[in-house]
Amino acid sequence: MARLGFQEKMLWAQLVGIVVVVAFYARFLVHAAPGHHYFHALLLVLLFLFASVRTFVRRRSKTVVEDERDQAVASIGARWSNIILWLGLIAILVGYWDHGSMRSASLLIGILFHLLVLAGLVRIIRELVAYRMTA
Amino acid sequence: MTRPVGSPIRNTIRELRGVRSMTQQELADLILVTRQTVNAIEGDKYSPSLEVAFRIAHVFGVPLEKVFQYDAKRSGK
Repeated sequence: MARLGFQEKMLWAQLVGIVVVVAFYARFLVHAAPGHHYFHALLLVLLFLFASVRTFVRRRSKTVVEDERDQAVASIGARWSNIILWLGLIAILVGYWDHGSMRSASLLIGILFHLLVLAGLVRIIRELVAYRMTA
Repeated sequence: MTRPVGSPIRNTIRELRGVRSMTQQELADLILVTRQTVNAIEGDKYSPSLEVAFRIAHVFGVPLEKVFQYDAKRSGK
């Protein structure tokens, strides 16, 4: 097995981070009273942290940390992520036409947020698979 | 971008590196890609862009066809 590159390590860290936060909140929210929780904020902070680390390392590193292969892998991940987003949006529209309304704006935002998280997870997993296939 | 097993494109990068006692990382630094990409190219698992292919040939000081060979029999077309 080839050694992991910087991009792959970042993807694994993102995957573990998102899965841990989602798993924690999935357990926590079952027993929690209705109200505001920090699920969305925590995930956004996590994604912001990863983006910051990525930018920092990319600027500081003396060797190349991202090249055309990384961009090709990223485009594969983006394609899969787009498919999930489109399917989700179609499902939302079908639901809207079926019921005539989305019940509430917060429900719609919740669905969109979870859709984005799902699309992000699919992107990360597909990119990891692509890296392993070309390693 | 991924090359399935049985890719019609072959390369001699490993041999050319060996002759010059050059590591994958050294070659990667010279052609501005990651070491993992050099490894993938050497293993015929990734086909580089024309620009990177020319950079590799330039580093070794040989024509492009000395580095990359196309085997039509393996192309399946």
